[in-house]
Amino acid sequence: MLRIGFPKFTLWRTIVAAIFAAGLYATYARFFLGFSEATNLSDPQPWGLWVGLGTLCGVGLSAGGFAIAAAVYLLGFERYRPVVRVAVLVSFLGYLSVIAGMMYELGLPWRIWHPIVMWNRHSVLFEVSWCVMLYTTVLALEFSPLLVEKIPWVGVRSWYLRWQHEILIGVVLIGVVLSSLHQSFLGGLYLITKGKLDPLWYSPYLTTMFYLSAIPAGLAVTVMALYLCVRSLNARIDLGILAEVSRVIAPLLALYAIFRAVDLSTRNALPYLFRWREETFCFWLEIGLLIVAPLILLSMEKVRNNPQYLYWTCSLVVAGFMANRLNVSITGLQASAGIYYVPKWTEFASSLMVLTMVILAFRYAVIYLDVVPKNTPQRRWMTQGAAAEA
Amino acid sequence: MQRTRAILVDITKCVGCRSCEQACKESHGFPKDTEYKLSPTALTVIEDHGDKFVRRMCMHCQDPACASACLVGALKKSVLGPVTYEASKCIGCRYCLVACPFNVPRYEWSKLAPFVKKCDMCAERQANGGLPACVEACPTGASISGWRDDLLDEAERRILGGGYVKHIYGSEEGGGTSVFFISDVPFEKLGFVTPPTQPLPVLTANALGDVPTVVMVGGALLSGLYWITQRREKVLLAEAQEKTANK
Repeated sequence: MLRIGFPKFTLWRTIVAAIFAAGLYATYARFFLGFSEATNLSDPQPWGLWVGLGTLCGVGLSAGGFAIAAAVYLLGFERYRPVVRVAVLVSFLGYLSVIAGMMYELGLPWRIWHPIVMWNRHSVLFEVSWCVMLYTTVLALEFSPLLVEKIPWVGVRSWYLRWQHEILIGVVLIGVVLSSLHQSFLGGLYLITKGKLDPLWYSPYLTTMFYLSAIPAGLAVTVMALYLCVRSLNARIDLGILAEVSRVIAPLLALYAIFRAVDLSTRNALPYLFRWREETFCFWLEIGLLIVAPLILLSMEKVRNNPQYLYWTCSLVVAGFMANRLNVSITGLQASAGIYYVPKWTEFASSLMVLTMVILAFRYAVIYLDVVPKNTPQRRWMTQGAAAEA
Repeated sequence: MQRTRAILVDITKCVGCRSCEQACKESHGFPKDTEYKLSPTALTVIEDHGDKFVRRMCMHCQDPACASACLVGALKKSVLGPVTYEASKCIGCRYCLVACPFNVPRYEWSKLAPFVKKCDMCAERQANGGLPACVEACPTGASISGWRDDLLDEAERRILGGGYVKHIYGSEEGGGTSVFFISDVPFEKLGFVTPPTQPLPVLTANALGDVPTVVMVGGALLSGLYWITQRREKVLLAEAQEKTANK
């Protein structure tokens, strides 16, 4: 039965509607009233939530795609094959959200194409912008079969899929190199803030540390996405795969922790760990969420074998990762900036709207495309609409 | 080597008359109201520190962090010395504000098409043989302009004459600048920041220098791993076929 009429109110629909209303106002404020109305940014704090969350976290948390693609296509870990499509989808949407976020962040967004023709090869940001452009193209190529499969004309479909298969290994390989470069160069952006960024975070090895932390965080996002597919979107995947992916997260986090500890001690930054400052508190919050808690939890058999526990453990990793990126981009620069930056509500609202769009796009992609194998479709979601349960 | 232009500010001679501020505003066509902090319409200001007056402006670094940070190359160290800004290239990323060790560039936060604003040492006037507007307006000779090496000699001469702190601010800060300050009061007490003495672009240049290595080694390593992977698959397949053939 086809139902036409006003969609039912549900809790999730109401929340999504509220987020969009706030986000649309924030968008209006940004583009028609300007930065001073839409943000609390100022000369001492020129980069705020949009860079810290939108760009640094957006790119970092989308690292799952290249890690899983490398594992399956290049290293032959066949056991991860069932999750490739989910990982690529999450990354692709993640990068699209970063580009959407750029439109808010840039003062003159209509000039976003300038780096294509105006080059400064001494700029880390130039390197990052090229890598993001190229890697988004790579992700589009990796993602494209999911759409092409739905084309009704067999000739076009098989021609494209054969062509895509031919170039796939090369594309994946280029994607891994590009990702490695820009994931680390996002940290490299802050190398030039020597003397401004707090010693708890400034390190000549910021590049390596951004890279090492992005991979486990990207995998954690993949685990969360897989879990939600099964929980809310009727996916038929063996939940054992969650444990398989999580198994890699723990050693990667441990490696990152060791690197971080050695770096802090060789830079003689250890005394800062116990000074009574806001920075110290934020630092320990980050370390607790990103390293300590997940490592303890993942060492427990009970957690490793329980998808729900794994989901929450991964959400801790993601939260810790976000704390790290926000600490580098905001907390660590507060003292030298000499001001106290708290993002304006419109900065949160627009970021939340972009995130909601990613989640909705993910949901509909999983429903309508062959991202994961699904149970025989139940029409429940069409009639009752569990809206944005994802 | 090409000689470059510079400005020397002698804090002992400044009386805080703000003629430099006004001259700067006039030459840029900005509103004339006195401002006390650098802003998009005040590219140089006089800050009061007790009975001392400190002029703030772009330091025109020898190897500017802002120019190395700018992804489209809008900011450049010109041959004559001033660090200039080409507004038509700027995309508004504000990385220059993040990168500047002296926290100088300002952004037009309240405009719908905002640009970066900072002192350009009146590059155009100087290219035509003129003086920077602020220097021209200074009645006490607290700010003088000239060739960079001459001004360094002059600053040294004054310091050796006595009555000054034994340091030329700008001679090594941020890897050396084209704006120098000499003072009879320690610079920390006058609100001067102490940035690293190495040119900051070196820090990012080192990292960027690794790019070719990462691409070559990474690419080769991954190709090698892929070769092993597909070889292993082929061997497995061949073994399986052999087994079925033997049966």
